[in-house]
Amino acid sequence: KENCRPDGRELGEFRTTTVNIGSIATADGSALVKLGNTTVICGIKAEFAEPPAESTNKGYIVPNVDLPPLCSSRFRSGPPGEEAQATSQFIADVIENSEIIMKEDLCIANGKLAWVLYCDFICLDYDGNILDACTFALLAALKNVQLPKVTINEETGLAEVDLKQTNPLNIRKHPVATSFAVFDDTILIVDPTAEEEDLATGTVTIVMDEEGRLCSVHKPGGSGLTAAKLQDCITRAVTRHTEVKKLIDKVIKSIKPK
Amino acid sequence: MALDHRRVPGPEESQAPLLYAVPGEAGTEVPGREAASLRPLLARAGLLSQAEGSAYVELGGGTKVLCAVRGPREAAEGRGRLLCEFRRAPFSARGARPRPGPAAAEALAPAVRLARYPRARLELTALVLQDGGSALAAALSAAALALADAGVEMFDLVVGCGLCRAPGPGGAWLLQPSEAEERAAAARLTVALMPGLNQVAGLLGSGQGGPPESWAQAVRLGLEGCQRLYPVLRRSLLRAAERRAAEAAQPPLASKSVT
Repeated sequence: KENCRPDGRELGEFRTTTVNIGSIATADGSALVKLGNTTVICGIKAEFAEPPAESTNKGYIVPNVDLPPLCSSRFRSGPPGEEAQATSQFIADVIENSEIIMKEDLCIANGKLAWVLYCDFICLDYDGNILDACTFALLAALKNVQLPKVTINEETGLAEVDLKQTNPLNIRKHPVATSFAVFDDTILIVDPTAEEEDLATGTVTIVMDEEGRLCSVHKPGGSGLTAAKLQDCITRAVTRHTEVKKLIDKVIKSIKPK
Repeated sequence: MALDHRRVPGPEESQAPLLYAVPGEAGTEVPGREAASLRPLLARAGLLSQAEGSAYVELGGGTKVLCAVRGPREAAEGRGRLLCEFRRAPFSARGARPRPGPAAAEALAPAVRLARYPRARLELTALVLQDGGSALAAALSAAALALADAGVEMFDLVVGCGLCRAPGPGGAWLLQPSEAEERAAAARLTVALMPGLNQVAGLLGSGQGGPPESWAQAVRLGLEGCQRLYPVLRRSLLRAAERRAAEAAQPPLASKSVT
């Protein structure tokens, strides 16, 4: 059969995507995303810190991707390896470039107190296309975050946290990543499995926003791509964004009545 | 703190909002519960595609543990070895992000027939996704299930059960404490039993438990709890095997991978 991949998919077809929001009660926001076999869980914990010295009205978002040996035999335990570091940096770039949350929103008291959102991603099962899964998990988990109301007591100068009143985060944009594996700069397949990634000569990840706006293109080396091929990728990424957005909206709506 | 170039930089230090919670929140009264009541346990084996064996155990009320086994792999020296790693996800505890805690890997060793795996090593990783009390006990059960799911030869499954003793002079031992009960406890105990052989595989306890009879009673209570959990774990293994058989029987759809 022509134009067919080992698991029966078409070249432009994604694996079954499922998302489960809010499963970890101890985290302030959480999401579990499965792209076929690839499973990533994201947990967000919010803590207090002083805003950075150079921008006293901003908070922090600290992503950390963990690829433990439990997800695949190619990883060893210990400090984050190359792929984990690259993925963490990619997520940090996506947050920065897409302005999914304005860091100014995380500030509580200018120069004194701000929120830090620790976004920890743990890959539970590694079957390729980690970048897409992590971006999706980030978006779903951020939508799920509830921050308690904080007031600064004028007399003592300390913060007072009211755990009963919580507000969701203000999510401004919805970035969605679409990854492609390139073979000899002629064939492009979407959502590669681990096997396909190992055989590919290069990969490309496009992060799109709503309204068809391009947030970032991540192409770490590998074989070259013509401009026409890149345009094809972007077009596919636009349709993928609509699919993902519909899925997230459906899930958020289903958990609303709490 | 030395600059860690491998992670995305964050603030130098941060505090959990719980420290500043308005004290007006009356401690949610934990409804009185029967000391020997077990929390509903969900166990599922064989759910990760990349690991030779895997298991997920969930205790009603919020403890979630996932465990994966790789191996047997080739190792240098003579005896077969079981290497265990217990980790907690950074978001698994209420309040501050936890530091890694002690492991009780020895509890699993008696159950595995290591003599059958000379010059091999088995790597086991248990990950606590959410800690709602009795996490170590749940991790031990998940680890034993994952080993069995990987097809490693074992003498028996290991079932773990956690207990804690309420503070105060007449504190009673509670089976499978919730997270709030664990935090307020005066003493904690985890027992690991091989129910089929009725042998204790591991025991880890600390705190002010009172006289030795109190500890003995607690151990007995724990062992009883393990016996009651045993059928649930066995059924999950059966179901996983049935699922695998059903998948294998399906005509291969352009087979996913040639093993």
